[in-house]
Amino acid sequence: MTDRDVDQQLVERVQRGDKHAFDLLVSKYQRKLGRLISRFIRDPAEAEDVTQDAFIKAYRALPGFRGESAFYTWLYRIGINTAKNHLLANKRRAPTSTPFDAEEAESFEDAGLLHEVGTPENELMSKQVVSVVQQSLQQLPEDLRNALTLREIEGLSYEEIASVMNCPVGTVRSRIFRAREAIAENLRPLLETNKNNRW
Amino acid sequence: MKQEISALMDGELFEDEADSLLGRIKRDSASHKDWEVYHLIGDALRQPEHIPRDLSAKVHERMWDEPTVLAPRGYAVRQKKLSIALSAAASLAAIGVVVWMSAQIVPEHAPQLAMQQSTLRPASVKMRAKANEYLMAHQEFSPSTGMNSGMYYIRTVAYRPDEK
Repeated sequence: MTDRDVDQQLVERVQRGDKHAFDLLVSKYQRKLGRLISRFIRDPAEAEDVTQDAFIKAYRALPGFRGESAFYTWLYRIGINTAKNHLLANKRRAPTSTPFDAEEAESFEDAGLLHEVGTPENELMSKQVVSVVQQSLQQLPEDLRNALTLREIEGLSYEEIASVMNCPVGTVRSRIFRAREAIAENLRPLLETNKNNRW
Repeated sequence: MKQEISALMDGELFEDEADSLLGRIKRDSASHKDWEVYHLIGDALRQPEHIPRDLSAKVHERMWDEPTVLAPRGYAVRQKKLSIALSAAASLAAIGVVVWMSAQIVPEHAPQLAMQQSTLRPASVKMRAKANEYLMAHQEFSPSTGMNSGMYYIRTVAYRPDEK
C-alpha cells in the first residue's frame, strides 16, 4: 500500500458517508493546503477562511472524485481555484509569479514567501512547535533520529530505509514509531496549553 | 495501535490492516489525536519556516453542518467489480479456447485416420514364408502406425479348443 492508496481508502470511506474519514484527510493536508493558499492570499485570516472554504468545496465535490489523479493533486486544484475566485470576488489579482499545475502541486513545499505572514500569536506558536520538534529530534538516539529523518525529510520507504540502515523493515517501523512518539510526548503539553488556538 | 497509525500514515500497512485500523481510529478520539500530532511533526520537520494554525476543528464544524455526501456507486467499487467480471470473462474465454482446440484436434485425427485406413489396400507383395516369422517378431518396433505404443501392452495369445 502506498500513501496514495491510504488517501484513496479515506476518500472511499467519505463517499460511503463516513465524515470522520474526511477529518483525517483535513488533518493530513490542512497545513500544506494552507501554505499553498497563503501564496495567493497574504492576509492570514483571509487565507484561513479560504482554506476552510476549499476543504468544504472538496467535501461537496467528493462524490465526483474518481481517483484518476492523486487526492492531494485534486484538492490543490480546488484550493487554487477557490483562492483565485476569492481574489476575483474581491477584485484583486492572483500573484502572477505563482503559476501552479498539477505536477507542481504534488511537490509543493515552498514556504519561501511565508515568513512573517501570520499574526504575532500564530508566529510565536509556530516557532514554539518547530522548536520543540527540532530539539526533541536532536535528543533522540541516532538510530531513531536517522530513521525518522530518512522517512519524513527524504521521503524514503521503509524498505529503502532498511537497506540504508542495514536492518530489518520491522526495525525501521519500530524506530520511526518510537521517534514520533518521543517527539509527540514533548509536543502534547504545548498543544494542550493552546487548546483555544489549535495546532 | 499507535505504531500501526505511524505505519499507516507512511503507507506501510496492507489494505485490510489499513481498513480495519481506519475503522478503529473513527471510534477512538485518542487515536485521531495521535494521527494529527504525527502529521504535525512531519510538517514541522519538512517546513520549519512556518506552521499554519490548525483549522481541522473549524472545518469539522462546517462539514458536520453539510449534508452527508454519498457517491451513487463508488467508482472504485465499480472498477473492482469490472475487473472481477473481466477476469471471469477472460478465464471463461481461455477455457473455451482450450475446449475448442481440443475439439478441433482430437476428434479430427481419428476420422482422418479412419479415412486413411479406408483408402488403404492390402499390399500385394509376395513374401516368403520365412519373412512372416521375422515380421511377427519385430512388428512392435514397426513405425508404420500410430498405435505402436499400444503394442507394448498387447500380447499375442493362441487358443486351442482341445486344451482345458
